[in-house]
Amino acid sequence: MSTSPFANLSRRQILQLAALMGGAATLAACGGPAVGEAGGAASEQATDWASVTPAKEITWWSNHPGTSKDLESKIIEDFAKETGIKVNLVTAGANYDEVAQKFQAAAGSSNVPDLVIASDVWWFRYMINGQILPLDKLAAHLDFGTDDFNKTLYNDYEFSNSHWAVPYARSTPLFYYNKAVWEKAGLPDRAPKTWTEFDEWAPKIQAAGGVTPLGLGKGNSWTAWWFCNMLWGAGGAYSKDWTMTLDTPEAIEAAKYLQKIIYDDKSAVVTAKDQVADFGAGLTGCTIASTGSLTGIIAAAKFGIGTGFLPEGAKGAACPTGGTGLAIPASKSPEQQLAAGMFLKFLTNAKNTAYFSSNTGYMPVRTSALEGETMQAVYAKTPQFRTAVDQLAGTRVQDWGRVFVPNGDKDLTTALEKIMLQKGDPAEAFATASTSIAKSYEENVKPYLKA
Amino acid sequence: MSTMTPPVVMRKRRTPWKSWLLFLLFAGPNVALLIIFTYKPLIQSLQYSLLQWNIGSATARFVGLSNYSNWFTDPTTANVVKVTVIFTLVTVAGGMVLGLSLALLLNRKLRGTGMARTVVVAPYVLSGVAVGLLWLFVFDPNFGVLGAVLKGIGLGSPDWYNDPSWALPMIIIVYLWKNVGYVALIYLAALQAVPKDLLEAATLDGAGPFASFRNVMLPLLGPTTFFLSVTTLLSSLQSFDIIQAMTKGGPLEGTTTMMYQIYQEGFATGRAGYSSAIATILFLVLLVITAVQMLFIQKKVHY
Amino acid sequence: MSVDVREKIAVTPPAVPMTTGKKHGRPRLGGYLMMAVAVAVMILPLVWMMLASFKQRDEIYTVPIQWLPESFELSNYFAALAAVPFGNFFINSLITTVVGATLKISLGLTTAYAVVFLEFPFKKFIFGLVVFALLVPQQIVIIPNYTLVSDLGWINSYQGLILPGLASAFGTFLFRQHFLTLPISILEAAALDGASHWTRLWKFVVPISAPTIAAVALVSIVSEWNEYLWPLLVVDKAEMMTLPVGLTLLQNNDGVTNWGVLMAGTVLITVPVLIVFFLLQRRIVTGLTSGAVTG
Repeated sequence: MSTSPFANLSRRQILQLAALMGGAATLAACGGPAVGEAGGAASEQATDWASVTPAKEITWWSNHPGTSKDLESKIIEDFAKETGIKVNLVTAGANYDEVAQKFQAAAGSSNVPDLVIASDVWWFRYMINGQILPLDKLAAHLDFGTDDFNKTLYNDYEFSNSHWAVPYARSTPLFYYNKAVWEKAGLPDRAPKTWTEFDEWAPKIQAAGGVTPLGLGKGNSWTAWWFCNMLWGAGGAYSKDWTMTLDTPEAIEAAKYLQKIIYDDKSAVVTAKDQVADFGAGLTGCTIASTGSLTGIIAAAKFGIGTGFLPEGAKGAACPTGGTGLAIPASKSPEQQLAAGMFLKFLTNAKNTAYFSSNTGYMPVRTSALEGETMQAVYAKTPQFRTAVDQLAGTRVQDWGRVFVPNGDKDLTTALEKIMLQKGDPAEAFATASTSIAKSYEENVKPYLKA
Repeated sequence: MSTMTPPVVMRKRRTPWKSWLLFLLFAGPNVALLIIFTYKPLIQSLQYSLLQWNIGSATARFVGLSNYSNWFTDPTTANVVKVTVIFTLVTVAGGMVLGLSLALLLNRKLRGTGMARTVVVAPYVLSGVAVGLLWLFVFDPNFGVLGAVLKGIGLGSPDWYNDPSWALPMIIIVYLWKNVGYVALIYLAALQAVPKDLLEAATLDGAGPFASFRNVMLPLLGPTTFFLSVTTLLSSLQSFDIIQAMTKGGPLEGTTTMMYQIYQEGFATGRAGYSSAIATILFLVLLVITAVQMLFIQKKVHY
Repeated sequence: MSVDVREKIAVTPPAVPMTTGKKHGRPRLGGYLMMAVAVAVMILPLVWMMLASFKQRDEIYTVPIQWLPESFELSNYFAALAAVPFGNFFINSLITTVVGATLKISLGLTTAYAVVFLEFPFKKFIFGLVVFALLVPQQIVIIPNYTLVSDLGWINSYQGLILPGLASAFGTFLFRQHFLTLPISILEAAALDGASHWTRLWKFVVPISAPTIAAVALVSIVSEWNEYLWPLLVVDKAEMMTLPVGLTLLQNNDGVTNWGVLMAGTVLITVPVLIVFFLLQRRIVTGLTSGAVTG
């Protein structure tokens, strides 16, 4: 029994092999990126949109946020009836990250779609890689009515005076509570207004039913998102422009508060997998989850669901926005871009955004849709939706350090998980994340920004 | 390959053109595929490791060895190396101990060993993603069956999902569950190939089962053990799908092996150059380990 | 991994177990006990998966857990089938596996034949080149390979799925080891009859190597069927996905993890494989008992 596949290789043969691999190196010059100065974002082309005829068929990469494939297909059908343009809906991944991976890997190939999901932590990377088109001129030509978009939601996609995407399936974190637990604890039927009030209520909830008052979620693209509420509420921020600001007393204080409710008061717990599932099973009295989960939570729960604004901190209310927008790749022909733009306008018009929103729980992205007929009907049926929509008025654009630097969200998640799960020293955990993000900015972002 | 001129061999004997053609016909396609999809990309990957290149970008900057120095100085690297070493050592060594024990058990003259062997090997043929997902639900601390069993006997469920020092054992357990049957199967084959008369001779000499195992069987299992150490080490270092399905490298990067980091940096974070540098380091480590194993084998085989 | 083939060949006669002449009856009970434990550890997670696939959401998300589903209705299966095109996944897996494994085995056979029976100056070197590829992990070459495949326009195509992993390294090694043990006389007789190398390979060598080929084929099929990372990257249309990749589409985002549906999907991809494995296991074993004693 000869024991290894390599047992028969002599040293001479290994040398020959090395020589051959050297030969292959010369072959390898083709493919891959062009080495030279950094490229950077695509610039607004001087396309005269008026002279362009839209393409007859385009492709859209989506992950169907909120299990929305049927809704998307329905809108596509309506669009084809109206314009004759066919939209191929492609499931390019199960979540935003998977779509982004595919989209980035497809760069430069013939496999680029005409319209793509661009989530809050991804669109900026598409932009600095030169993969997507600035949309302002196209939007003006097609008369998008961009003034009607919710301001925060639209300006999330603004950088160097251009908008790079249009809001689509947008969400905010929302406070959900178990009405039965609330009643048992003798609490008023509303969410706590401030974190201080939550601290007053928590012992009553614990006393009433043996449940942990608050369940908090973890994981990438999530932890550092809802923590914006505590961080901003305390007067801190992840960063100011490109400078990390996690060393401020306010930021440390926010992290210490998080540790206090988990370790001292034991009024909050970090859930194992899915804070929504734990809440639905009655393990926790309340939780913070995406508005996109609203429909699912209400459908699954066996008790009454209350919703409210995220609690305020010392410096007032604070709530981030999230979810995804849609972007148009820069490498496609003007004909395809124009057709994609037309579909984008159709998809986000007041009627369709209300239709999409009412069936998922994502925010209507247009101000005019908020009070339209469709949404009014929804509020009447599920009043919890109203809170989510009202909260939108007080939202704020995200910190660049989290959403614009390639490993920003991941490093912040790691820092926060150290703080939440291992009672790590906040100053130390934040410092590690800040150093890493600052370095990544120098290497991966700064060279690509146009002066 | 035709660029390699063969001065030494040509002297000995001329190869007729028909032999060349015949050889080309038989071996050519396979070799061509290997060059196109293994060796050429291997070189390209070395080139990429010298670039600062975001994967979606059409352009890149040459940065010399700074991807390598960045990796060696990054604060997370120590943890990644630790996770990789623990995962690899435990899955390889643990797999061999468990596999050999199973093989010895299945080699006994008991009813149902054939069926038991089939059952033990079965998980090996399943998809790693499916195995990861089904175990994820077993481990769920609130709704999973393992937590319920542990609570039933008065223990709490460890925090498999949140605590890095439990998440890594979780991944290891699942990996072993899936792969131990393979190791057992190979040991079983080796045990059954042990000549009967050797054992009978040992028994006649009055050796008990334990002594005959230690003195007769164990030395004979040497080559098999070395074979397994090479193959299981290679596959353990490359494992990806279970980690992807269960933890995605978390919590707190507690299950991020080097292989997983390569994927994550290349496709999630998008730093293709950095990712290629880690890949190159891992490749060199693999080469060194295999070379060492080969030396060992050559020594051991000629005892 | 494809690394295990040669030993499966050696797994010869489990039906006729030869064991030590045992006089001790005492450890028997312990043996059965341990065997029962081993089998239980292997089977119970699969049972838990099956049970979960029939549970409704509120039967899963309850504390303490509920062991049995209230009814064995198939709604989770219908939900899984409605959410993603499982039929396509299955066909794609089938095509990539059958085509991939067949070509891979053929490449391994011809290469091994060339290395063993043909005269060629560098054949040892070529063999080394083939075998050395075993040491190159797939992940290290995945970025350049992706770039190449996408430049060729092969994203979402069967050739894109199959070709990059097609070359046979371990198969070649195993076939070579096996061919070296073949009786030369048969081939000499064939050569005297005027059979070409091509005929000699397919008419003489392949038939007497059937057990080895079957064992290698089984392992190729398993690894092709379960391949995950490459199909994950090279396919983005649901209609072109293979089963392992498609399965992960069932993991929900921005909603509740629906274990019932996810487990139903997992059952759909594991159970057929298990059935085929239990059937093939017997066939392979009996095929192997007849021949092939390596070592």
